[in-house]
Amino acid sequence: MWGGKLRLPPTSDPGSLTMRERIGRTGGELRRLAHDRGLLLVLVVVVALVATFVVFPLFQVFRESIFPRGQFDATHFVRFFQGAPFLITPFFNSLILGGLVALTGTVVGFTFAFAIARANVPGSRVFRWIATLPMISPPFIMALAAILLLGNRGMITQVIHNVFGVRWSIYGLPGLVLTQTLAYFPVAFMALEGVLRAIDRSTEEAAFDLGASKLRTFVKVTLPLAAPGIGAALLLLFVISLGDFGNPIVIGGRFQVLTVQAYLAITGRYNMPLGATLAILLLVPTALVFIVQRYWLSRRSHVTVTGRPTPSTAHASGPLLRWVLFGVLCFLSGVILLFYGMVVYGAFTHLWGVNHALTMDNFRYVFSVGRRYFMNTVQLAAIATPIGGILGILIAFLVTRKRFPGRKTLDFLSMMNFAVPGIVVGIGYLLAFNAPPLRLTGTAAIILAVFVFQRMPVAIRDGAAMLQQVDAAIDESASDLGAGFMRTFGRIVLPLVAPAMFSGMAYMFATCVTSISAVVMVVSARWQLMTVALLNDVDNAQLSRAAAWGVVIIAVVLAAIFVLDVLVSRLLSRRGSHGR
Amino acid sequence: MRRWAVGLCALALVGVSALGQEVLNIYTAFDVDQAQTYVEEFENAHPDIRVEFVRLSAGALLARLRAEHPRPGASLWLAGPSDTHIIAAAEGLLEPYTASLGWQYLPEWAKCPDGYWSGIYTGFIGFATNKDFLEEHGLEPPTSWYDLLEPEYEFKVSMAYPYTSGTGYTRLASLVFLLGEEEGLEFERKLAEHAVHHYTSSGSAPATEAGLGEVAVGIAFSHDIVARAVGLGYPVVMSFPKEGTGYEVGAISLIKNGPEPELAKVFYDWMMSAEAQTLYQEWYRVPLNPAAEVHPEAVTAAEVTLVDYDFVWAADNRDRLSDLWQELTGF
Repeated sequence: MWGGKLRLPPTSDPGSLTMRERIGRTGGELRRLAHDRGLLLVLVVVVALVATFVVFPLFQVFRESIFPRGQFDATHFVRFFQGAPFLITPFFNSLILGGLVALTGTVVGFTFAFAIARANVPGSRVFRWIATLPMISPPFIMALAAILLLGNRGMITQVIHNVFGVRWSIYGLPGLVLTQTLAYFPVAFMALEGVLRAIDRSTEEAAFDLGASKLRTFVKVTLPLAAPGIGAALLLLFVISLGDFGNPIVIGGRFQVLTVQAYLAITGRYNMPLGATLAILLLVPTALVFIVQRYWLSRRSHVTVTGRPTPSTAHASGPLLRWVLFGVLCFLSGVILLFYGMVVYGAFTHLWGVNHALTMDNFRYVFSVGRRYFMNTVQLAAIATPIGGILGILIAFLVTRKRFPGRKTLDFLSMMNFAVPGIVVGIGYLLAFNAPPLRLTGTAAIILAVFVFQRMPVAIRDGAAMLQQVDAAIDESASDLGAGFMRTFGRIVLPLVAPAMFSGMAYMFATCVTSISAVVMVVSARWQLMTVALLNDVDNAQLSRAAAWGVVIIAVVLAAIFVLDVLVSRLLSRRGSHGR
Repeated sequence: MRRWAVGLCALALVGVSALGQEVLNIYTAFDVDQAQTYVEEFENAHPDIRVEFVRLSAGALLARLRAEHPRPGASLWLAGPSDTHIIAAAEGLLEPYTASLGWQYLPEWAKCPDGYWSGIYTGFIGFATNKDFLEEHGLEPPTSWYDLLEPEYEFKVSMAYPYTSGTGYTRLASLVFLLGEEEGLEFERKLAEHAVHHYTSSGSAPATEAGLGEVAVGIAFSHDIVARAVGLGYPVVMSFPKEGTGYEVGAISLIKNGPEPELAKVFYDWMMSAEAQTLYQEWYRVPLNPAAEVHPEAVTAAEVTLVDYDFVWAADNRDRLSDLWQELTGF
């Protein structure tokens, strides 16, 4: 799953140094490094981890796509350029789907963001809560619900058929656009809400004062100011849609996409070169998007906030618009709740489509036969979360507070998985860790590694944000008083950011428990996950039981968020009482 | 400060599991709930052994064995058409075992001459058709492969991918044995172009999908059609192509270098017993142990027309036919 923020952290400062200055600086950095053994040790470990678990797997995907079994063989790329349908069709389908979802998701996200941030619709807290729901549940819950509701024999489909005599098919492109939009618009919403809030209202007010109508102000002032945010949301949604695996495998129908084809090529027939080629085809547009994002969009920033945002007296919308927006939000939220409600209802039915009598059987199954899936998921996510959280802060601390040669490279590489679709990460792990020296397939370690390193960019970004709250003078004075790196980090930095770290962990835990696209490649006999169980049941058309898995997954996530929330508030209140 | 450290540790320790029982790891092509039936009975009979299993479609299972070789994560391969076991044996992924109880009673066609696998059930490819759909359109259930190309069924049929699923490949190979390679593949292409609503990676899913009404017809093995649709109460009628259909010999085999070879043999022997194969009744499978009891509704060979199915040829040509199929259909 993806974080709400859009930009990779800045990895470059103006390269205006001369060669000599650069060498001189590097020398100084090296000397300082030699003094602090702890820092040096930590650096070596972090670099080794990033090289092993981020760079090496990705390298293996490239290698396998053109050098399978050690010999140059680009058959699949040749077939791609010759127009072989089994490569061309999923490629263009993925692009088309990504484009459409980028549009619809951004429109829905913008609507939510505008209504909540600018139009002050009533009940905005409820709407925001509903909009975050898809972020803490497995994305393909939406596809499952879509089948229950709108499938060829779905609840709504049947009603429409009985009343109007019309039938449609939700499978394929329409269903995918619908389900991905519902699953991923929150990403656009979170991003755009920030952008819209950051727009200084006095610019809009100035437009009003100069006699512009509200519509004209919106089109001529608000939209252009929000444009970079909108552009970023479009690109991000495009990439997320491209990388989505859960929805297409459930509701794709005849519409093939790259993620699913790569998965089938590898798990279905062990055709690693074909799988790796499809992964590269997936990676190319994704990488292009991030390049566009970094070098084009980031230069067109129109951020208007320089000081404190001015509290607004006049809203950007009149009462009419506000109520229209309220209506639209009610409708969209209704759809989301209906989808979730359907999954909950489905989970309590005996046998979907035949016997809708209510039962607990599906949950009994989940906690008897499926107990292992449940336990493994909770165990692994619970172990990965603190590791990932601390590692994220550690790397953030290194790249923002410390000076050492190769800092920018480390920054870039550790953020790289942000741009790599999950299925590609999974394929890379399968290729990289199936042979000595690091044979991890079939172990818990490989799942933990996927959890930790796929989410690391978000953890680092969160870590960097937390560190901004900590005055650099504090940890510098610890260093000046003779504390080594380990001591400074362990005794000063970590305790200071602990509350924020716990809040970040709730989200991290949620993304571990709900993730599917990377881990589906590395689960094993001994180590299984709930999302994979859900996928298997959908695959076997056992919809009631799949729904029960969905409910349990969401319940686990909500419970984790609740527990960490309590923990954080305890921590803060203790700290408060100490202060007094 | 110590408090947050304790909190962290508590979080990390939420699940540390330690169990000191003998564990047998199995890969199975049986659906999870069905595998659970056998595993539970086995554990009752052998309380000192605990069984962990993973369910994978036969093709995916073979893919996993190839990927994990030479250090497989399981010791026993339970179920799935013999073609996939034959391929695995040829690739050196299996361990021969002829000392099992069942070796004597199995006919020649139901076991590997070198002992790499033994048959444990048979099943036949059939059509699962939704009754409501038939009623609505005033149709009879399809009784020919060619019925599926009729306009009434356009984009209303689901079936498994030949490369992920043993069921899917048995279907493809059956058509090749029936019509010849070129014609058979061409027929599959026509199905893909005109009839297929979607392909599934699981072989039994199409039966249930026909039951749900998501598709009109699902192509699957007879025992899955009964167990996954008819027997559950879904409005499904089962029929078979009159031209002839393919069948599988579901097999069991020992995985080479498996971590628990001795435990695997215990399960192997048990699975060959009449007692174990009588459990098939719940799932309408046809046992190969002549002493096992057969469910009266289970479909037996006497009720269907069979193609001349050559398991060794099917196994030898699996990858080649799958590639050709993908080139032709684009799926």
